[in-house]
Amino acid sequence: MEEQVVLTEKELLEDGFGDHPFYHCVVAEVPKDKQSLEGKFNDNIGYTVVGFAMYYFTYDPWIGKLLYLEDFYVMKEFRGYGMGSEILKMLSETAVKTRCSGMHFIVAEWNTSSIEFYKRRGASDLSHEEGWRLYEIDKCNLLKMSSK
Amino acid sequence: MANFNLRKAEPKDVPDILRLIKELAKYEEMEDQVILTEKELLEDGFGDHPFYHCVVADVPVEHQKVEGYSVIGFAMYYFTYDPWIGKLLYLEDFYVMREYRGITRLDATIKSCFLLQTAVKNRCSSMHFIVAESNKASIDFYKRRGASDLSLQEGWRLFRIDKENLLKMSAEE
Repeated sequence: MEEQVVLTEKELLEDGFGDHPFYHCVVAEVPKDKQSLEGKFNDNIGYTVVGFAMYYFTYDPWIGKLLYLEDFYVMKEFRGYGMGSEILKMLSETAVKTRCSGMHFIVAEWNTSSIEFYKRRGASDLSHEEGWRLYEIDKCNLLKMSSK
Repeated sequence: MANFNLRKAEPKDVPDILRLIKELAKYEEMEDQVILTEKELLEDGFGDHPFYHCVVADVPVEHQKVEGYSVIGFAMYYFTYDPWIGKLLYLEDFYVMREYRGITRLDATIKSCFLLQTAVKNRCSSMHFIVAESNKASIDFYKRRGASDLSLQEGWRLFRIDKENLLKMSAEE
């Protein structure tokens, strides 16, 4: 679905590092070796970013702040070394430190390996338990509503 | 049709917002699950970094159907982020006191006009929200306005890791 990513570096910069960040990120980096993958360098000389998690804070009117895990990815070549667990541990610490009541995220129902990963860490399927379904009204329909 | 005024919530509205949150929870027979306090609502919504935004509806004294209450409805929303398209507006909660439903068209106004303007002004790509699959009236209301069920279309399921398990993970070596 690469063509569906319309977000630009400019927008990511403004939205994440302006006065009011709309998202937060943690990145996982490994020491750069002679065989580093091209185009993945960052300013931190000697390190390459190989994974990230994007999150933000949401709000439940019954219990207050929640940490919402939006995106979570580790490059294929670097999986199996516990990086994912470390990232999730860091996010848990962030959630506790910022007095969040829990962490929410969505997973596609066919993504059984991710579901297992999360269930091993105590995740519960609220769609299953409480019947929640995610809905969207896209921009086109929002504009249609406003012109009525 | 009753007159009402739609406006951004102010710190003084916090007691009414909590009252309405509890009324909605009571309607779902879950009032004891509301553990949020006025103090938290105030800090979280009106501090340096608001974690939520609210719009409230109030009615003039002469139109009050329930004595003493001028704030009769609210919508709570915040901004989320889609890594493919950017900012989204997320409608978290929405409630109008029973006595004022149907006669004010307040619900349609909040949802379609105010939230839309907010979404467009903040350059949001769309509005997201969750609905319980048993809530047919709301589902129909949203579908008539072009909402699509992403859980159905794309298979998304909402998961939660609660505080107990977060603490467990953060304590692991």
